[in-house]
Amino acid sequence: MNAIACHDGPFLPQMARILEVTAMTAREKFFRVALPAPLGHRPGQFVMLSLLGIGEAPISISCGPRDDNILEMVIRNAGSLTQVLHRLQPGQFVGVRGPFGSGFHLADFYGKDVVFIVGGLGLVPLRSLIQPILAQPDLFGHVTIISGCRTPAEELYREELQSWSRMGGERRPVTVIRLVDDTAHLPWDGRIGLVTAPIADLAMDPDRTLVALCGPPVMYKFAIMELTGRGIAHSHIFVDLERRMKCGIGQCGHCQINHLTCCQDGPVFRLDRIVDLQEALQ
Amino acid sequence: MKPKVAFFDFASCEGCQLAVLNCEDAFLDILNLVDIVEFREAMSETAPRFDVAFIEGSIHREIDVQRLQGIRARSSVLVAMGACACIGNVQARSNFIAPAENFKRVYGEADRNLVQSDPEFWPLWAHTRVRAVKEIVSVDYELRGCPIVPEEFVHLVKALVVGSIPSFPANAVCVECKMAENECVFDQGETCMGQVTYGGCKAICVTHGYRCDGCRGFLPQANRVAHQAVLREKGLSDAQIEHRYRLFCSAQFVGRENRR
Amino acid sequence: MRPFLLRRDELPNWIKHLARESQVYFPQRAGRSGFRFKQVREGSLIQLEHYRPTIVPPGKKLFPAEEILFRYQTMGDEIPVVTPVLDASKQILAGVRPCDLKGIDLMDRVHGEGVPNPHYLSRRTHTTIIACDCLYPCDDACFCDAVGSLGWRKNADVFLTALDDEILVESFSERGRTLVQRTALPVCDAVDSFKERVDVRRSKPFGRQFSVPLSQIGPIIAGQWSSPVWENHVQRCFSCGSCNLVCPTCYCFNVRDDFELSDGSSGGRTATWDGCMLPTFSIVAGGHDFRPLALARQRHRVKRKFQYLTQRFEEGAFCVGCGRCGRQCTANIDIFDIVNDLIQKVEG
Repeated sequence: MNAIACHDGPFLPQMARILEVTAMTAREKFFRVALPAPLGHRPGQFVMLSLLGIGEAPISISCGPRDDNILEMVIRNAGSLTQVLHRLQPGQFVGVRGPFGSGFHLADFYGKDVVFIVGGLGLVPLRSLIQPILAQPDLFGHVTIISGCRTPAEELYREELQSWSRMGGERRPVTVIRLVDDTAHLPWDGRIGLVTAPIADLAMDPDRTLVALCGPPVMYKFAIMELTGRGIAHSHIFVDLERRMKCGIGQCGHCQINHLTCCQDGPVFRLDRIVDLQEALQ
Repeated sequence: MKPKVAFFDFASCEGCQLAVLNCEDAFLDILNLVDIVEFREAMSETAPRFDVAFIEGSIHREIDVQRLQGIRARSSVLVAMGACACIGNVQARSNFIAPAENFKRVYGEADRNLVQSDPEFWPLWAHTRVRAVKEIVSVDYELRGCPIVPEEFVHLVKALVVGSIPSFPANAVCVECKMAENECVFDQGETCMGQVTYGGCKAICVTHGYRCDGCRGFLPQANRVAHQAVLREKGLSDAQIEHRYRLFCSAQFVGRENRR
Repeated sequence: MRPFLLRRDELPNWIKHLARESQVYFPQRAGRSGFRFKQVREGSLIQLEHYRPTIVPPGKKLFPAEEILFRYQTMGDEIPVVTPVLDASKQILAGVRPCDLKGIDLMDRVHGEGVPNPHYLSRRTHTTIIACDCLYPCDDACFCDAVGSLGWRKNADVFLTALDDEILVESFSERGRTLVQRTALPVCDAVDSFKERVDVRRSKPFGRQFSVPLSQIGPIIAGQWSSPVWENHVQRCFSCGSCNLVCPTCYCFNVRDDFELSDGSSGGRTATWDGCMLPTFSIVAGGHDFRPLALARQRHRVKRKFQYLTQRFEEGAFCVGCGRCGRQCTANIDIFDIVNDLIQKVEG
């Protein structure tokens, strides 16, 4: 084979040095890495994270847009690659491709009340939108964050959730509702119940409320049902979907949702654009 | 400290251990990464604990069951290596024949009767059923095939060394036949077990002009009802189909229903 | 440039002449009834007619079963070095039928639009295609005419039409013209009458036909999600993925990493064929499976060919009608039958 080298390509990772690895729960670790150059991402985008020789997987970007070359991620130990990633130390290298996907456009949310409904790992990608919205109180309305997980031991970003709840003011209130399915005999200062339960009691003006949803597949159906019941239009709901992905550039075929690819057209979709696609929320 | 690795053989031809030795270059690299503490094909030494135990062979006698349980108790990771350990292999066909009948076939009727009446031979009679390793102890990984595929062995060792999870996709042999651009065995007028059999062997038998006889075992999604229908349409009798199904896999579905 | 004429018995010499200068692939026997695009050698048997579609389509020469994307080298605390691997060897694919020609065109779009795939495009740039016309269907499985592939010419560099003892040699690209001009061939003075005779000779109807025009098939399939037709055609499915892997318009791939045991510091990343009929195709880390049933996978495959990708790329069909999937399915599941049954459900 006549092999020639080229110096750029969509399959080539940039090498990023790990700055921080912190255990968040028994299964999740927080990673902060330094890229050679700023990533320049939008909220809701993702990267393909790899360990050379071991493998590559799609990982949500967990930090809001930033000017420096820092990238924050939360990685659950859920597979071959992530098991090895969990043993990495600061100073070691990971490969990063991206950012990929449509993500959220902050301008869509200007002047709006924003409701975040997140289950389990769903908080990880939506933190990339929560951060910039909370950082600019003048641009957005009432912010509500409903965050649920199975047990107190599985709650992610607890300190941040608590500090976000204190960031509200008269002009821009912030409400944070934390829930668990089961306290599992652990101390718990939030509510008990499903993440969809508080929707019924939220003070929402359907005309000026946008909702961002991210969680396990089963959550979407019930959350959308509740929201629709409260008069929220599909065009006001954004869903962040998960699919198997091996390339990030719409070519490996794994994340096909009808005529769309989750990695390029998503993973963030405005609900009215996919609600009629049978493969989207099945 | 290097991981301690051991190889144990039960009822088998030890061909899989030979296949390991045949990894040659890779085997020498592996020796740099792990300490092999038991390996009958190559050395003899015993250790109290193993990081990885490779089990070759099917399990027949009560004494083998106890030995296997002992190994499991001393091992962090246990790997069933080869068709004998994973699915019983050809010797499990004896599960369908009464032991007395088997002894008659092998030793003749007179010796069979002698064996039956002499207590010295009674331990032989403890052999009642050929079992795969996972029927007796929990198995962490399976290296399938008769013999194993050296590349899969190396892949497993690499994964164990770096602490990742080895991947042995549950895909049919057909996948690798297509990748090798083999003419389908059915188009050659023959019949094949490939559609319902675990791939990973690079379709070696078909690539070399034979058919797949299913030495790597039935896939979890094996549509056996449809497969039998296809074989019947190709002119195989029910007895011939049963023969094909039992050749390697007699011990695979003991006590389990045919599932899709 | 005006088309040339080649005597049919001169074709092997011409192909072998090309093969002395370049890597030429031509369909040749593989096994009892199969054909494969094999490299042409001096002793190769070169026949244009009577070959059934090859086991895998010629487009796979642009998208091999295993492809190294890059190699890497780590060096202690230094930044690892990653080096892409691109295949830029020249090749000629000769004897490509119109169905496979269209398949390659669709793959050019898949790999070329949006974020281009440099590995595919590197091979594609260095590939010349000599296609050939079909005067009659290759066998009962063919339905190229029904999906609009039979008349496909667009991306051929050279196009051959064989009639009786003569072959009309047309070139549709600069590369094709250069290739043809390297051989001194007589000019064809009566192209129109040649083509008229070809059209008279061509089988009509050509292969299997749907009962509705192609433009109606997409909407018909789009309207059927829970039709019993899906269940009928999946009873015998083995989920073996053969239909995917032999398809000219299947392009899904998996990616895996590997490292050298000897040093532990070098290795590479490889793309390998994958298929949406395989049970592991849609499983994410954590175990959720978006298409756990063979029925859902089969439906997805058919809808990709006739609904999803046609919508995404604004094409009539992403199935080229080569018939490989049905021909090579040991359970005799045929995408033509599935689509036909879906049409009948609507049309009665």
